[in-house]
Amino acid sequence: MFHFALKNILFYKGRSLTTFILTFISTMLFIVYVSMMDGSHDSMLKNSLKVYGSAIEVYHKNYRDLGGNEYLIKDVKTIENKLSKIEGIQLFSSRYETYGLLSFKDFSTASMVVGVNPQKELELSELKNALTSGEYLKNDGQNCIYIGKGVASKLKVEVSDEISFIGGASDNSFAADIFRVCGVFKTGLFEFDSSAAFVSKEYFDTLMLSQNKASYITVKVDDLEDVDRINSEIEQALNDENLESLTWKTLMKTMVEAMEVDSIFGYVSLALFLTVIFFVIMIYGFINVSSRIKEFGILRCIGLSKTRIFSLLFYEIFILSSLAIVMATPIAGYICHYYSVNPIIIEGIAEMYKDYGIVSDELPFSFNLFTISWNVLVVLVLNILSIVYPFMYVYSFGPIEASKHV
Amino acid sequence: MYSLIVKMAWKNSFSRLSRTLLLITMIAVSMSMMIGIQGLYDGMANNMLDKNKRSASGDISIFAKEYRVQKDIKYRIKNAETIKKDLEGVAGVKAVVLRVKADGLGATARKSSFASLYGIDLEGEEKFGKFSEFLKEGEISFDNRGALIGLELAKTLKLRIGSKLIFSTQDVHGDINSISLKINAILQTTNISLDSNALFIDRKKVYKFLGINDGEVTQIAIMGEEESLENSLKDKYPEYDVKSFLELQPMMQMMQDMMFIFNSITFFIVMSVVFVGILGVMYVSILDRIREFGIMLGIGMHYKYIRMQIFLEAIFVSLSGYLSGAFLGAVLLVYLRDYGIDLSAFSDALEMWGYESVIHGTIKLSYFTTTFAAIITASILSILIPLRKIKKINPIDVIKAEK
Repeated sequence: MFHFALKNILFYKGRSLTTFILTFISTMLFIVYVSMMDGSHDSMLKNSLKVYGSAIEVYHKNYRDLGGNEYLIKDVKTIENKLSKIEGIQLFSSRYETYGLLSFKDFSTASMVVGVNPQKELELSELKNALTSGEYLKNDGQNCIYIGKGVASKLKVEVSDEISFIGGASDNSFAADIFRVCGVFKTGLFEFDSSAAFVSKEYFDTLMLSQNKASYITVKVDDLEDVDRINSEIEQALNDENLESLTWKTLMKTMVEAMEVDSIFGYVSLALFLTVIFFVIMIYGFINVSSRIKEFGILRCIGLSKTRIFSLLFYEIFILSSLAIVMATPIAGYICHYYSVNPIIIEGIAEMYKDYGIVSDELPFSFNLFTISWNVLVVLVLNILSIVYPFMYVYSFGPIEASKHV
Repeated sequence: MYSLIVKMAWKNSFSRLSRTLLLITMIAVSMSMMIGIQGLYDGMANNMLDKNKRSASGDISIFAKEYRVQKDIKYRIKNAETIKKDLEGVAGVKAVVLRVKADGLGATARKSSFASLYGIDLEGEEKFGKFSEFLKEGEISFDNRGALIGLELAKTLKLRIGSKLIFSTQDVHGDINSISLKINAILQTTNISLDSNALFIDRKKVYKFLGINDGEVTQIAIMGEEESLENSLKDKYPEYDVKSFLELQPMMQMMQDMMFIFNSITFFIVMSVVFVGILGVMYVSILDRIREFGIMLGIGMHYKYIRMQIFLEAIFVSLSGYLSGAFLGAVLLVYLRDYGIDLSAFSDALEMWGYESVIHGTIKLSYFTTTFAAIITASILSILIPLRKIKKINPIDVIKAEK
């Protein structure tokens, strides 16, 4: 049957060529489109995680929902001791976040002020790399503040200027101090750059009375794929119902959801292309089969079963589809790989979509063999499904009737 | 003669019923899906555009020079009430509202966040942009120190109806002032900046709070009817910064452009594939009947009549596909417009991106006219190759040939 199918493919050139071209196009389109979509989503997530996000964060329960000083972590050292024993954790650090008013001369702005360990943040976040002027924070416990470009622009301050801070300390008393601007950063996250400022936690703790306290502990893992296992080990190690350990999937739930919605719309558009192509392949298959009714009738008359007829049609479409897929997949794979290494750059897209958290003009593709495999499989299955109706049409004729068909 | 050709074309169009129905189904399904997707995407973009206009900038906004750069109440329009009266007399101006904005810190007992205080006039806003339609929860009222809050800001500060918050900012003299507010309503404007940061209170209260005089504002927003209005206002108020909606929201323009490009590419790809489908069917249909056409030419029928018959066959089939697709597409679009797609499961994400959780489509006549033109063009192009084959045939050879 295989050889018979091969001969038919060579004989019915029009149908074969059309099926080949359409399958080639749909395979290319599917692989490249999904790669582009997944790549841009991965990039947005990675950028957000890289800038100031965390793979895992440990909180006191209710801190994220209700907030307030009573939900601060109050025994940071004990928790850090437990974290240091868990395999797969690369680094962890506590952060103390608060909101307050920053003022300089006649200008004031609300800002999130965070006490961080400057040395650890070098590996945990992109804060140092985002430096635009001045210098990054030092671990010397000085009253140095590292502010976002948006904050600097609202306050009209430059490096070395002194700004005042008013906020609430961890015991709910008023806290006020003068900070010297040591550096200005720009991560590209518009909202973040307009509202964030950092100081050394060592210094901030003396002001906020937050020694051994933290808003949360951020954890960096060796392998992001391993995050669920590590998180469950952290939960076991903490063994405290007042604490919760959350992975980036929960922490960035909104962004993950947004990616899912975007994927849904992407797949809807793809479904349109694949449906039209499926119909055309089916039409060409049907036309081909209906011109061969007599041939099928004779084959049935000389003893070929219906299963063998189906096998013949199956082999024809399988050979054609496989050939197109085998040719299209390496090309599409190469395109995906190339653009995953050398992302497409659309000048100005980050500035235009800054409100949506887009921080880069780069549009990288994703290169994932598993994704490419299932994309290819979908195209192959659709092509095979396209012979069902033509076969049913042939099947509707009896052998004698078919052999006399004109 | 012509009526005979029409009858023959009609009968031949449906002589191979399965094949023709398959083609009609292909056109109908692809067309309805395509216009459904176009309607949905346009609906999303239009909804965002419309609500952004109504909630923020209108068609045109006027600011004091430097205000948009400095974002400081020092740069405000001082004779706003006079300008408003003037504008209301200008032809093409539908509605004008005055707004005062100040950035500061919104704080509850447990949470704090960056916030923007907007002093507005509810009656004017209702006339300007049907403000009440943005209501998500609660009641639109400024009674009892009442404030209206953007949905995302309410989420950030964990505020509900009746919750209290303190807004602190710098007044016109540089002093830090605070105002205590009670949340009367939560709004969803689908304008990301407003939903994430806005607190709306009565404009008169803001005057007192910021220490500025009555009638001084940071923005005059105008809803207009004529495109020429922007230029005439720029000429009329050279001392101010007069900006159109798209100048203020370039992302909307880019979003529209990208939507247009995306829809055009989709349309082109789908129609190209549809063309391949029609071509295949028409080509085979003619080849099947090549002997028939040979006989027709042999008995003296002019080529132009055969051409017309084939042309009409292509038109009948594609028109049937188009009408079925237009019907299915219209049903789909009406459903999307009236009921929409409920994506409440992803509401957090959609709201963050400035969309509603139920997405509604829109209906444009152009979806049907452009598709009509494309399908008819595709069907006409699809018969060119088969017609060339007929033109070249020798009737005697064809008649003699075994079928």
